Amino acid sequence: MKNSPGYNVIMNWLAGRGMHPFSFQEEAWKSILAGESGLVNAPTGFGKTYSVFLGALIDFINRHPDNYQTKSKNGLQLLWITPLRALAKDIGRAMEEVIVELGMSWKVGIRNGDTDINERARQKRQMPEVLIITPESLHLLLAQKGYPETLDSLRILAIDEWHELLGSKRGVQVELAISRIVGVKKRSQKNAGDPLRLWGISATIGNLEQAKEVLLSNIQREGVIVRANMHKKIEVESVIPDEIEKYPWAGHLGIKLVDKVIPIILENRTTLIFINTRGMSEMWYQSLLNAAPELAGAIALHHGSIDQELRQWVEENLHTGRLKAVVCTASLDLGVDFRPVETVIQVGSPKGVARFLQRAGRSGHQPDAVSKIYFLPTHSLELVEAAALKQAISEQLIESRDPMLLCFDVLVQYLCTLAISEGFTPDEVWEEIKRTYCFREITQDEWRQLLHYITEGGTALQQYDEYKKVEIIDGIFRITGRRVAMRHRLHIGTIVSDAMLKVKFLSGGFIGVIEEYFISRLEPGDTFTLAGRNLELVMIKDMTVLVRKSNAKKSAVPSWNGGRMPLSANLGKKLRETFNLAFEKKQLKAVELQALKPLFDRQEKHSHVPKANELLIEQIETKDGYHLFVYPFEGRLVHEAMAAILAYRISRIRPITFSFAMNDYGFELLSDQPIPVDDTNVYELFSPDNLFEDIQRSVNSTEMAKRKFRDIAVIGGLIFQGYPGEYKKARHLQSSASLLFKVFAEYEPDNLLMRQAYSEVFAQQMEEARLRDMLQRIQASEIVITWPEKLTPFCFPIKVDSMREDLSSEKLEDRVKKMQLLLEK
Amino acid sequence: MTRYLSHIIAGEHLVMSGERALFWEGQQTLIIADLHVGKTGHFRKEGIGVPAAIYKDDLHRLLSQILFFKAERLIIVGDLSHSIANRELDLFRKWRKDFSSLEVHLAKGNHDILDNRWYEEADIMVHNEPLPLFPFLFAHDTDQIDEIPVDHFLFSGHVHPSVTIRGRGKQALSMPCFYFSKTHCILPAFSKFTGSYQVRPTTDDEVFGIVGNEVVQLQKKTISS
Repeated sequence: MKNSPGYNVIMNWLAGRGMHPFSFQEEAWKSILAGESGLVNAPTGFGKTYSVFLGALIDFINRHPDNYQTKSKNGLQLLWITPLRALAKDIGRAMEEVIVELGMSWKVGIRNGDTDINERARQKRQMPEVLIITPESLHLLLAQKGYPETLDSLRILAIDEWHELLGSKRGVQVELAISRIVGVKKRSQKNAGDPLRLWGISATIGNLEQAKEVLLSNIQREGVIVRANMHKKIEVESVIPDEIEKYPWAGHLGIKLVDKVIPIILENRTTLIFINTRGMSEMWYQSLLNAAPELAGAIALHHGSIDQELRQWVEENLHTGRLKAVVCTASLDLGVDFRPVETVIQVGSPKGVARFLQRAGRSGHQPDAVSKIYFLPTHSLELVEAAALKQAISEQLIESRDPMLLCFDVLVQYLCTLAISEGFTPDEVWEEIKRTYCFREITQDEWRQLLHYITEGGTALQQYDEYKKVEIIDGIFRITGRRVAMRHRLHIGTIVSDAMLKVKFLSGGFIGVIEEYFISRLEPGDTFTLAGRNLELVMIKDMTVLVRKSNAKKSAVPSWNGGRMPLSANLGKKLRETFNLAFEKKQLKAVELQALKPLFDRQEKHSHVPKANELLIEQIETKDGYHLFVYPFEGRLVHEAMAAILAYRISRIRPITFSFAMNDYGFELLSDQPIPVDDTNVYELFSPDNLFEDIQRSVNSTEMAKRKFRDIAVIGGLIFQGYPGEYKKARHLQSSASLLFKVFAEYEPDNLLMRQAYSEVFAQQMEEARLRDMLQRIQASEIVITWPEKLTPFCFPIKVDSMREDLSSEKLEDRVKKMQLLLEK
Repeated sequence: MTRYLSHIIAGEHLVMSGERALFWEGQQTLIIADLHVGKTGHFRKEGIGVPAAIYKDDLHRLLSQILFFKAERLIIVGDLSHSIANRELDLFRKWRKDFSSLEVHLAKGNHDILDNRWYEEADIMVHNEPLPLFPFLFAHDTDQIDEIPVDHFLFSGHVHPSVTIRGRGKQALSMPCFYFSKTHCILPAFSKFTGSYQVRPTTDDEVFGIVGNEVVQLQKKTISS
């Protein structure tokens, strides 16, 4: 490599800017030039883009050493997949800069939801050499006639932020698109013998090897991992409340600590304040302004429901350092670095070590600078988490991202995408998808069912059926209906959001979006907060909420039902270990634990503080009924599943009806009669035996599957969300996911999409593997049952922050009777 | 809990069925709402593969109710069909011919957008205005009537009513229902391919829930407000 013309051109250019490549960059270039594929593991802000992009340039210059500067219209050379639209522009800008300075004639194009029609048409006529694209737009490209020709010249496929995509259905989308691109190139006569190179770029995750394997499964190559090996120093400090509440409840404490946040903002150049939910971020923004009115204009709000232009304005002002602080959600987790950011505040549990590190890493970008992150608890018990996080960071316990398997909904969508443009033959696609990590276990039978489903629509009443979607014309599977094709294009993607309405000022001006569910509870004249503004609802018209400014002091804070992340297994483990230190001598334990002494004392007095090798169970009677609290510290999803199983197992002892509540630390079963759990049967109730059967029998898996089915139905093309113009015409095609779930459960329970809903429940929602690990751990540990006379500090947050689920093992009919009897008393 | 439950309104005997139909004994008349024939076909024609069996089942249930009660007349209080004509509606018409002695009335609903000829050929009497049959009145939606005449009791559909009952321990259960106020009754949607709307009864109302295929009278206290 070192003697190649391309390498010298690039080295000279870097030297001209006073730069020298990192060794991992050179390593990546070398592998690229050798025709190798692989994964670059580097944190943001360390030239990961250059590691692949400059490699592509060197490759090109080496092939055209004499005319690399003038050679234009080369067709697509480098396809760059990125999960974030916002990243595309910055990456494109950085690439263009290099191209201009090298005097080359390459063009860089961006393709995403914001790309206008003219630009798309231009790209169709002449593809730029570099195309930066989102997974969704890549599928739209595959829905375009003539896509195979576009790919003829492609040499390198880069997948940026692969750790973000892996583990989601967008990752599956990427896998499928790659499988097609690889397949098309293999069949194409042009550029034969010059294999496509795949390069993933990923931050550190627990399963980097697997991340690489998922990506390269498509080309059946081993590949290489190129590691940057750069560790940033991170300093974690907890914001400790002056007084520790003995009965903590979520969300309540955080805002009270506003006064402790203001000095941090004032002391630092720029501060990012990460809040877990959009609703809370609105409240924080208001509270900060109320506490320090002088900050008006110097602080801003950034979350996913705020108008994009406004978000861009915030991002630009972050770059230029004009903002003192930005209150944000996961919306600023990813993306380019904001150099002025000196410190980060994490409000509430980050739920995982990786996320916490990622957020910490958003501060301190100068080389050798320390990333500073403050942890601010939303209830006092969360302070334990801070201590656990510190320990986990020092041990480098970073979570894995498990790839999703057999996502039939994404496959159904993908097959229809192919059917729109060039059509497909099942044999070809079968070969391709069998090479993907996601579908390598798919059976012939499942494949036949899928094809049957898209061509016949499942079991039909032959004579009277008019199902029409994918047709088989001369052996090629095609969609010919224009309306069906148009609807499909509009729904390509795997991110399913709740029904959202746009929010606009009467006088014009878009503010953001809001959930239909929230706004439907408001009356005209009511006020609510969005994007940090108090707004008065005037009316709802054509899917748009019209508002005017309000001076009202009080206003409703919207709730967005975004997915709440559960506590990771790693953090849960550290958390349990941290409790071991609760009653250690002061000098032996973290400041957080010292501060929590009054809470621990109270917990110990009324109940018990569990050690890592103990499981605490509390039985408490209140006027609401009989409560059973269990504290496995395994995250809310595992707790939800465990609650369902436990309820089922208890109900085999005696017919009994429960409602559930859970948080990341534990769960509650609540009943109107005493709960028969004691030392004689408790180990049996937590046995890992017959786990799978019991999960299936517990009624709750149906409820969970119903929730999963919502996304699946949208991705699989069963539900069409309204869209402008076509909205009225499509009204007779509207149905809700819960209705579809109900009718499929009754009439076609074997449908692949239904089965997928259940397998998603077992694999992800219930995290069956993690559940099993937990039960095995519990069997080997000591179960401590206490009978406190009143609610304890541990159970209090569950009691308050509850999300209730119903379960009854009794037959539905009996249950109705029983509830009535009870209420007649 | 039982499959059938009788109820007396204005001195007339009515039987509520767990199959989401109501039988008026005095007139040998079966009353249903929101059949939405052709809905699955409409979806399927547009490439949305919902189970076609729902439609077959809806028709079978209707058939069995007509036979069980030996009904001489069928009144549909709106939304017989879901959308524009399709082959499922052809099957319905064929089925209708096998019951030529059955008198069929349709109080027109917002989904009933088929050509008049279709109803003529199917031998269905369409009523654009509320249909009076003393002491009852039949209409699709209560909104169609400014004021219910004092000596009449109204039967309507459109709403697809459901009700949620709550017990201790925050238990909740939602089910389709017959909803009776002092002056009118809203029938549950007959088709199983229909969503539902939560009704919030007042203390003067009577509500009968449908659990599986059984009807149950609900205590006022259990119903949420």
